[in-house]
Order: sequence, then C-alpha cells, then structure tokens
Amino acid sequence: MATDTSRSLVSSRRRSTASNVHMFSPGALARALLVYAAMAILVAMMVLPFLWMLSTSLKPQAYILDTTPDLVPNPLSLESYAQLGERIDLARVFFNSTFVAVVGTVGQVIISAMAAFAFARMHWRGRNVVFTLYLATMMIPAVVLVIPQFILVKSLGWVNTYPALIVPGLFSAFGTFLLRQALLSVPADFEEAALVDGANPFTIFWRITLPLVQPALATLVIFSFMGWWNAYLFPLFVARQENVMTLPVALAALQGGPRALTEWNMVMAGGVVAIVPILIVYLLAQRWFVAGVVGSGIKG
Amino acid sequence: MKHRFAKRIALLGVASALLSASLVGTIAAQEETTLRYFTFSAAPDYLEELDNIIAGFEEANPGVTIEVETAPFSDYFTLLQADVVSGDAPDVFELNYENFVTYAANDTLMNIDDLVTGDAPYYPRALEAFQYEGEQLALPETFSTVLLYYNADLFDQAGITYPTTEWTWDDVRTASEAIGAMGDDVYGLYSPVQFYEFYKKAAQNGECQFFNAEMTESTINSPACVETVELMVSFLDDGLMPTAAELSGVSDSELFLSGNLGMLVTGIWMFGAFQEATFNWDIQIEPAINQNAHHFFANGVAVSATTDAPEAAARWAEYLTASETAATIRVEAGWELPALDQPEYFAEYLALTPPTNRAAVFTALESPVTPPVIERQTEMQDTINALLTQVVDGELTAQEALDQAKTELDALIQ
Amino acid sequence: MAGLRGVNKYFWVGLFLLPSLIGLMVFTISPILSSLWYSLHDWNLLSPPEWIGIGNYTELFNDPHFWAALRTTAVIISLYLPSAFLLGLALALFLNTRVRGMVLVRTATFLPVVASWVVVSLIWKWLFNPQYGLINIALGAVGIEGPAWLFQPESAIVALVITSIWKDVGYIALIYLGGLQAISPTYYEAAQIDGANRWQLLRRITLPLLSPTMFFIVITLLINYFQVFEQIYLMPMRDSAADRQIEVIVTEVVKNAFMYNRMGYASALSWVLFGIIFAITFLQFRLQKRWVYDEGV
Repeated sequence: MATDTSRSLVSSRRRSTASNVHMFSPGALARALLVYAAMAILVAMMVLPFLWMLSTSLKPQAYILDTTPDLVPNPLSLESYAQLGERIDLARVFFNSTFVAVVGTVGQVIISAMAAFAFARMHWRGRNVVFTLYLATMMIPAVVLVIPQFILVKSLGWVNTYPALIVPGLFSAFGTFLLRQALLSVPADFEEAALVDGANPFTIFWRITLPLVQPALATLVIFSFMGWWNAYLFPLFVARQENVMTLPVALAALQGGPRALTEWNMVMAGGVVAIVPILIVYLLAQRWFVAGVVGSGIKG
Repeated sequence: MKHRFAKRIALLGVASALLSASLVGTIAAQEETTLRYFTFSAAPDYLEELDNIIAGFEEANPGVTIEVETAPFSDYFTLLQADVVSGDAPDVFELNYENFVTYAANDTLMNIDDLVTGDAPYYPRALEAFQYEGEQLALPETFSTVLLYYNADLFDQAGITYPTTEWTWDDVRTASEAIGAMGDDVYGLYSPVQFYEFYKKAAQNGECQFFNAEMTESTINSPACVETVELMVSFLDDGLMPTAAELSGVSDSELFLSGNLGMLVTGIWMFGAFQEATFNWDIQIEPAINQNAHHFFANGVAVSATTDAPEAAARWAEYLTASETAATIRVEAGWELPALDQPEYFAEYLALTPPTNRAAVFTALESPVTPPVIERQTEMQDTINALLTQVVDGELTAQEALDQAKTELDALIQ
Repeated sequence: MAGLRGVNKYFWVGLFLLPSLIGLMVFTISPILSSLWYSLHDWNLLSPPEWIGIGNYTELFNDPHFWAALRTTAVIISLYLPSAFLLGLALALFLNTRVRGMVLVRTATFLPVVASWVVVSLIWKWLFNPQYGLINIALGAVGIEGPAWLFQPESAIVALVITSIWKDVGYIALIYLGGLQAISPTYYEAAQIDGANRWQLLRRITLPLLSPTMFFIVITLLINYFQVFEQIYLMPMRDSAADRQIEVIVTEVVKNAFMYNRMGYASALSWVLFGIIFAITFLQFRLQKRWVYDEGV
C-alpha cells in the first residue's frame, strides 16, 4: 500500500511502463472514484464562471436585470455580438491586436532568448550587476513609467503608429529571466562540442541552444502573447485613433463612463471575444507548455 | 568641432526660417491647416454626429481639416495631461468645469476673447463659468443638470400627489414613507450620499459653505453643514432609501427602471435610458431645504496655449459650441444640450415625452450651483466621499466626519 | 557552465546582449531614472517641475494614506501568499497523479490564468453578490448568512484574495509541477526500499527537492503582490465603503499620478515601494540558505 500511494506522487517517464493492474482492487477503485470526483469539482470550479460569462453574453439586453443564474439563456440571442460588431470595427481592431501581439511576441521572445544566452552561456565582467539591473526593472510599478515612456515615444513621432504599440514592449526582463533559468538547467555539452567543431556562437545559439529550451520558449510565447493581447495602459496612450486601436482599448471605450447604464451582455461578449485567441494560442502551445516550466521553474 | 556644429545649427535655423516664411506664404494662400480635436463626449455613441458637425465646419472653412481623437471619460484627463507634458497638446479639446480651473490656472489655455466673434448667444452663466481671472479661456459647449425623477404609477398607487416646484425634502420624506410602505422591495427615494450631492444640498441649505470666502480655511464642519449631512443620511437610516448592500450591485437607475423606486435624484442624461420604462414617469425640479439649488454641469471647449493655428482653432471651438448646425445636430441626437440661450433650438427637445415636464430642465438653470474648486480637487472629493461613506455605515457621526474633513481640507489648501 | 568564454568574447556578448540591453535602457531604465528625478520635484504635469529635494519622501512618511496602504498591502500578502503557496502545491501534487483525463483538468485550471482581470472581476462580482450570488446562496444552504462581500473593506479584501488565489493557483501549480517532474525517481525508489511511507517521502524527499521551486515562487509572488493593483481597482462595488476605503500602495501611486496631478509624489511612492521589494528580495536570498535545499554545487 505504502509503495503504491507513494508511487502516485511520482510522475516520471519511467513510470509510463507501469501497469494499471491496481485499478482493479477495491481500495484502488474507491481511490480512483475519489480522484475523479476531485477532478470534476476542480474543473467545475474553474470552468463554470466562464460558462456564466458565455451565457450572459448570449442574453438579450432586457434579461440582464434578471438575477437568477441560468446557464442556458432562454431565449438565446446573438444581439450582444451583433451590437459589438456595430459599435466597434471588429475586423480592424482584431487585425491590430493580432498584428501587435504576433510581431511583439516573436520579437520579445527572440530578443529575450539572445540576452538569456549572454547571461547563461557567456562569462563577462559585470554580468551579475547587469542581471540585477534587469531584475530591478520588475520592481517599479509600470504605471509610473507610462508618462516618460509616452514622452519618449511622442518625441520619436510614433504616436498612432504600430511601432509605438510594439517597440517599447519588446525588451522584457521577465522573459530574459525565465529563459536564463531554463538555460541554466540544461547542460552546455552540445554547445561546447559544436564550438570545438568551429561553429560560430550565433549558429550554436540558433541551431542548438534554442531547440534545447524549446519548452521554455513555448512557455514564454504564451505569457508574452497574453501580455500583448491584454495590454491596456500604454496602448491607451499611444493608440488614440481607430486605425491602430487594439481590442482592450476599444472594449474599454464601450463602457460609457459613470453616466451610462452598463450593458452587461455586451461587456461579457467583449470578454468572450477577447479570451478566445489566447485560448487558441494556449492550446496550440500547451503540448510543450508543462515541459517548459520544468526547465524554467527551478532554482531562483 | 564645437564651432562647426554651432555653425551647422545656425545654418539650419536660417534655412528653417526661410522655409517657414515660404510656408507662411502658402498657408496664407491655401490655408492648409489640420487641427487635432480631443474629445470624451463623442465616443462611442456620437461619432457620426461629430463627423456631421465637422463636415459643416470644413465646408464653411475651406483648408481647415479637423482630426478627431477620442478617449473614454475615465482616461481622458490622464491622456490630455500626457499630451500637455509632451509639449504637444491637441489644438482644441474638451474640458469639464472642474478640470477647466486646473488647466486655466496652469496657463495651458489660450485667451480666446479676441478670437471669437462675440455674438454667439451663450447662456451668460455658462460663459462666465469658463472665465478665469477675467479672461475667456474656453467656450461653454453643453450643460446638464440633476433633477427629481418620479414614478407616477407608484405615486398613484400610494394615493399621494406628485412632487411640485414648492416641495422641500420634508415633502419627499412624507411621500417616501407612503411609497416605501407598499412593499419590502419598494423604496421611496434614492439620492446618493457623495460629494456632488453634498455641495448641492449645502447650497439648498444656503448656510453651509465648504470654505470661507478667502479660501484660507475650511468651514465644512459648521452646524449648517452637519445638518445637511444628517438630512442626506436620514433617508438611509429611516429605511426610505436602499443601502448599497440592499442595492447589491444594481445601480440606482436600474432600480428605478425596475419600477420599485418612487423617486430618484439623477441627471438629465438618463432621459434616453428611461425611455425603456414600462411605467409612467416624470421629472420635477429638486426639492429645497431653505432654497432651490441645482447642479450646473458644463463641458467647455478650449484652445491650447501652444497651438500653431489659434484663429482656426478658435473658429472651430466657436462653431462646435455655438453654430446652429452643431446645436441642431446635438439636440436631435440627444447628445447633451448646447449651452445656448436660444429657446427655438430647444422647441423640438421640449416637445419630446416622457418626461412631460421637460421645461423643468430650464427652470433648474435659474438656480445653478457649481462645485467648490481647489487645486487638489480630486483629493478633496475622495476625502469627502470616504468620510461620507463612514457616516452612512454608522462608523462616524456627521459631526465627527466633518471635523475630520475640515482637518484634511485645511491641509489640502495649504 | 564554462560556456563560450573563449571566442571574441566581447564582440559576441555585445551581439547577443545589446539588442535587449539598449532597448531596456531606452524604454524602461531611462523612464525609471526619470521617475527618480520626478520624485525630487513637485510636479502637477501641467506646469514645469519644481525642485523640492526629499520633500516628497518626508511628506510620504507622514502621510496616513501611505501607512494605511502599506498595511493593507501587507494584510493582502499575508492572506494570499501562504494559501496560494500551499493550494498551488496541493494542486500540483494532485495534477501530478497519473490518471486518465488529467490533461483536461490541467487545462481547466489554467483558464483563469489566461483571462484578463477585467473579465475575472466581472464574473466574481456576480458570484459574490450578497443577494443573488452563488456564494451566498451556497452559504445560505448550510445555514450561514454570507457577508456583503464586495461592499465592506474587510470582507472585500477576503473576497479579492479568494479571487486572486483562484486566478493564480493554476499558474503556481504549473511551476510546482515543473519542479516535481525534475525530481529524479531514483530518490523515491531508494527510499521505498528503506521502507519509507508516503508522508515520509513527501517530507524527506519531495519538499526538500522542491524547495528551490518554492523559493522561486515566493520571490516572484512577493514582487507581484507588493504591486497588487488590478483586483483592488476592479473588484469592490462602485461607491461602496470598500471602493472608497481600500487602498494599497499602487492604487495610491495611480491616484496621485493620474487623478491628483502629483507625479512627483507618485514617483516617490514608487521608489519607496521599490526599496521595500528590493530589500525583501535581498533578505530572501540571504535566508534561502536556511531552508532551500542545495545539491552542494
């Protein structure tokens, strides 16, 4: 018994060969039922609130004052989505958000990976000081930096252009930190060998190092994409015109301020619309995701 | 090295001077000007109307193009500040009254006295609101006020008479008791307990002033002010008004719309939303304590002190606020009311029902109150709001809260 | 970790590091230094800044709002951190069991992580509604009268900590999971041969070997939650006592910067916050030797 339970604590590749024969003993069956009950409760706790969001978005306006929770609205209405489409140029806003998020994510991941390579694989004077500097940039609240950043972007003449939305966010201390941790936990043997064979460091970085930390890269891709997609404060400052406006800014403009009644179904429709792309990216990257944290999450 | 650099700069200066001279020439000939206009009131519902006003202006002023930037009200002033800081304020922008004072005091607005034609028919009171130290630093764009809304059906069911212009808050209390008696989830009144209601009810009291005349000291803990707060809170204490927890997230307007609220003190901007009501409702001017007083909320349009095209900018500000085209478009769309003393513009507006008693909007203008304004305005509002909440929750008496408010306000005006 | 120390060292270091470092200097570090400069000025953004030396800092230490904000921040961290830390661990141990369908659970627990706070706050405002929210309905079913959650400061803090844990626990568990999977099974096998029971395995093997991950989690959560803001801003019901009275350091920063026109003071607040976070992080690195397992590298 002790052996059996303790084994369930350990998940490793080796165990994948273990048989499921214990499932048939009464004790194991009871335990399995317990585990499945716990799984069901967990899934319900995490997912039900989102189903409510979905169901609210499918209600017509008049039913919002109704406060009884029913998960399947009756009548079902797509009115809120139609209205959303009327009030926001959804195609434009989606294109802007996607463009900024994709370019931003790719750029941020590459730049972070290169810096992480310099921190984890190269030895140079002042490395620790510079790294502490990177960490320190995460300790100042972003809101206080917005004004000087805005002044800078404005002096570059970037307001209401894509570079204003993308360039300032490309340089991520968090991403560098995450990938540095991942690199530190991966042996450098292959890279050393390649170096001996005369490959230049850039080739090594691109061909050997990056594939080694592919899981961690996937992790960063998700976090980075989430960050870009949900970004609100800085885009609010620099994207004032519809042609460059991103989704969160456009959605915020819908909440007409303290003088208007909130149209909950529309707010929820906005929430649904905003969450779907991130879910897609998550599902695409999730195959590598868990493995990615393996490499990055250890040894602060 | 240094010399060569300086020389280059000097040459550059001469060149650009020549260039701008020639540019001025072309501008005089073609008058190609682009103005940035920044607004909070247009988005998201009135962009089309704004485009129509702009079209009218651009037709009347060939060569001038208006470029619109919008932001939600909650972020607007942050963005406007950021623009001013960065040295590139919009040429023309909207301001509400409280922020107007801040911007005027910081020399960010252009004196447009001489630039506007001066024959525009603004409400004198509205025009005055946007003067600062004797200079006209913005033009009044729209105004709004707050009135007493009532559910006529509930009044009928309770068998009581509708509010009149003669009502005081004692009459409101009597009516609220009658209506509140009709059911557990039916309430007589909702009148928020916050800064804006407080300074207005203080004016209705007449004796309560937040500051002395010299603005050297706060007098917010005077007996008249304590009385005013006690009156505001009494409706809650007596169960005539729902508490925040009883509202439980439903807004006061939603409660009114649901038909379970007898009277609601709110702004004329709710006319549109209340068209959905399934009962009869109307409005009346606000009840008095010792005298009548009504909010006077005004938005103004200002020209930046740093604009390159002051004349064109002032012309746009004037067109936007005073032209018949703009006024008509606004009234038709229900996009707030132009601050113009031109009854004929409002004929159509007054004819709309409900509310039947729309004329009360203009009666209210006879007793306008603007908020007390200090440089650290928002802090004052937050301080007073937080203390009023503590009175509502029974943690402080009105006297204790206002004594504390005095201490904090004194610190803010130092 | 000898690395690529041989070849044209500085050329290659420059090539890899400079894109990031220059960008960070221009777009993050220079604004940070600007904010340090602002913190020594009285500046309402509309008029030129006026030098007042450490005036903002002395005012700050006499400002009851600052101390209230610091206290509330500390309360939130002390409620949030231990629970998030332990629940994340429990969830990770659970997600680590090999049961068919666990991938689905893992995805479900990550759903709140990807949702924005705006959406999460709307959902939980509804759940916490004192009259028709599911939470008070459930409490009522077992005979407890639930509080007016998001209306009163004390209950609102509890409510927003619960929401924060719900939102973050999937993320924390995922990091733990990484740490768990990195523990070599040979340790367990050896201990099992010695006859260790389940509790002993957890106590003697899992927890010590997981301690570097725990350290990482504590540090990052501390950095994040000293800067807690969005949920404070979004969750309390508008105009309620909770809305008007709960203040944390970053809400004070935002108010002063954007509503009170006091950019200098807001910057000073940020730098004091920076000092606190930096000091605590430093202390954590110092203390880690006492509890964080080290393979003796």
